Amino acid sequence: MLDRRLLRLAVPLAVGALALTACGGSSDGESGDGGKKTYTLAYQGPLSGDNAQLGINMDNAVQLAVEQANKKGDLPFTLKFANSDDVGDPAQGPTAAQKLIDDASVVAVVGPAFSGATKASEPLFSEANLVSVSPSATNPNLTSQGFKTFFRVVPPDDAQGAEAAAYMLKGLKATNIYLVDDKSEYGVGLADVIGKSLGSAKFKREGIPITKDYSTIAQKVSSSGADVMYYSGYYAELALFTKALKAAGYKGAIASGDGANDDQLITQAGAAAAEGIYLTCPCNDANVDPNATEFTAAYKAKFNTNPGTYSPEAYDAANAIIQAMKGIDGDITREKVVAAVKAIDYKGITKQIKFEPNGEVAGKVIFVYQVKAGKRAILGTTGELTK
Amino acid sequence: MCFTSQFWQLTVAGLAIGSLYALIALGYTLVYGVLQLINFAHSEVFMAGGFGGLFLVRELVGDTAPGGAAAVLITTAGILGGALAGAGTAFVLERTAYRPLRRRGAPRLAYLISAIGASLFLYNLAGKEFGRLAIPMPDIYTSGTVFHIFGARVTTNQLVIAGAALVMLIALDRLVAKTRLGQGIRAVAQDAETASLMGVDINKVITLTFIIGGLLGGAAGFLYGLVFNVQYTMGFIPGVKAFTAAVLGGIGNVRGAVLGGLVLGLVENYGVACASSAYRDIIAFMILVLVLLVRPSGILGERLGRSA
Repeated sequence: MLDRRLLRLAVPLAVGALALTACGGSSDGESGDGGKKTYTLAYQGPLSGDNAQLGINMDNAVQLAVEQANKKGDLPFTLKFANSDDVGDPAQGPTAAQKLIDDASVVAVVGPAFSGATKASEPLFSEANLVSVSPSATNPNLTSQGFKTFFRVVPPDDAQGAEAAAYMLKGLKATNIYLVDDKSEYGVGLADVIGKSLGSAKFKREGIPITKDYSTIAQKVSSSGADVMYYSGYYAELALFTKALKAAGYKGAIASGDGANDDQLITQAGAAAAEGIYLTCPCNDANVDPNATEFTAAYKAKFNTNPGTYSPEAYDAANAIIQAMKGIDGDITREKVVAAVKAIDYKGITKQIKFEPNGEVAGKVIFVYQVKAGKRAILGTTGELTK
Repeated sequence: MCFTSQFWQLTVAGLAIGSLYALIALGYTLVYGVLQLINFAHSEVFMAGGFGGLFLVRELVGDTAPGGAAAVLITTAGILGGALAGAGTAFVLERTAYRPLRRRGAPRLAYLISAIGASLFLYNLAGKEFGRLAIPMPDIYTSGTVFHIFGARVTTNQLVIAGAALVMLIALDRLVAKTRLGQGIRAVAQDAETASLMGVDINKVITLTFIIGGLLGGAAGFLYGLVFNVQYTMGFIPGVKAFTAAVLGGIGNVRGAVLGGLVLGLVENYGVACASSAYRDIIAFMILVLVLLVRPSGILGERLGRSA
C-alpha cells in the first residue's frame, strides 16, 4: 500500500519536473584586447517557447558571424555578442528590446525575429536610435509604421504572393489554378495577394480550416481539371492534402509557399507523394544553396547541426551590420551605425543587401524550390524563372 | 440536393471514416455499459494503437512498398500491433486510473478528473518520447486505387479500413451476443450487484471490457494512421467524434455505436459538399443536437442489457 501511495505521489512530481525545463545563458563579461574598443552586436528573437527553434536558427547564425568577424583580425574593434529572448511574443517584445537598449555597449540588433514582436519593439528602438535589422519579419505593414531604425533583409509577404502568381502563370504556364488557403492569418494574407496578382487568369479559391481529412477538397480539385493547385498554409496540412490529392487521382502540379517549405513536408507526405511539389519562399535554404556551402560547413562545425530556416538571412543581416560598422570613422555610436546601415551595399549569401529608404531590402528575391528525388532543390529565383 | 453530383464519392469517404468512428465509439460504449462512466482517456488508447502499429510496420516494411500478399500480411500485423498496444494501454488505464477509485467508492466526478488527467499524461508522454511532429506510415501498398464504384474512386486505404472494421464489428457483435464473456458483460451492465451475487467476477469483466475496447480502439488508431499520419495529438478529434457517435447511436448500445459512427461519417461528408469545408464540424454537431432533441437517448436508445 505504501509504495502505491508513493507512486501516486511520484507521478505528478515527475510530470512537474519535466515541465520545469530550464533555459538560459546570457553572455556577460568584458574582453578588451590590445586597447581596441568593444561593441556589442545583439540578437532579439524567441529563444524559448513553441517557436524557439526558429529563433535559435538565427541566434546561432549571428553568433557565428560575430565569432568569424573577430577571428579574421581586420576589425578595428572587438565585437561581442548578446541576445534577448522575446519568445516571439508581442507582449514580451518591448521588455526584450529595453534590455538591449539599456546595455550601452549594444550598437546594433539583428532582429526581432517575428512580425508581432517586431511591431511591438520597434517604437523603442526608434526612440533609442538603435538600428535593428530583421532576418525574418515578413508582415507587409512593418515598413509603413514610421519606424526610423527598422530594416529587414527578407522581402515582405506580399512580394512572395505576387511572385508566386507570376511563377505559376509564366513559369509553370498554368491555365487553370486552384488556390486553397488554410484560413489562418498567414494563409489568407498570402492567398489574397496571389489572387489579386493572378488578375484575370482563371482560378478558383477556397478556404479549408486546418483539418486532417482533405479527401473532399482533394476530390474537388481533381475534378476541377486544375493544372496547378497552390496551397497557402503550412507543411503538416499540405502533407496530408498532398496524400489525399494523390489518392483522388490529381495529376496537376502542387505548389505552396514558405510555410510549407520544410523537409517535414517530404517526411510526412512520403517521398513518392511529395515528388515534384513546387515551393516559393523569400528564404534561402543554406543546405541546398551552392552559394552557402562555406557558411553551412562553418555552422555545422560550430553547432553540430545544419543551419535552419532563416539562419542564412540572420547571418547576412549580422555581416551587413558588421560591414557597415567597419566603415565608420572614430568611435562607433548608435547614430553612426544607423546611417551606415542605411547606406550599406553588401553581397550576402542570400542576396545583395541594400536598403530602400523605408527599410525594405532592394530587389525582392523569391526563391523557387522543388522536391526532387525526396529532397528540396533550389530551381532559382522567380526573376530568373519567369523571364 | 447539393451533394448528389459527388454522391458516391462522398459516400465512400463517409463510410471509411465512419467505420473508424464506429470502432472507437465501441470503446466508449462498452465501458459506459458496464461502469456508466465515460472513459475520456480512450482517445489516448487510440493514439497508442497508432504508434504501436506504426513501430511494428516500420520494422516490417523496407524502402519500397511490398504490395501483394506481403502487404496483406503487414496490414494484418499492423492492425494486431495497434490493437495490442491499445489493449495494453486500456488495461493499464483501468488498473491505475479507475480501479483504485472504484475500490474506494469515489464519486463520479473523481473518475472524470482521473480520466482527463490520464489523457493529458499519456499524450504528453507520447509527445515527449516519440516527438511532436506527425510521422507517416511507410507505404504498404503499391497501388493507391483499387476500383471504381458508380464512378467513385475507392482507395486501397479506404477498402482496408472498411474491411477490417467490418470484420471486427461482426466479431464483437457475436462476442457480446453469444459468448460467456459477452453474457458476463451484459449481466454487469444490467445490474452489477446481482451479477456478482450470481457468481460473475465483476472486476474481471470490467478489465476484459476495457481490453476489448482497447483492442478495437488501438486497431482504429493504426488504420487512421495509414491515411492521416501518426502524432501524439491524433486522438483528440477522432475521440470527440467517436464519443459523439456513441451518444448519437445511444450510449451503452453496441449496434448504436456502429450506426452512430457511420451516420456521423456520412453526414460530415455530405455536409462538406453542401456548404464549405469550414462547416464540416458545425453541420455534424448540429445534426447531433437535433437528433438528441428528438431522441435524447440516441437513435437506438441506451441498451447493453440495460433497460433504457
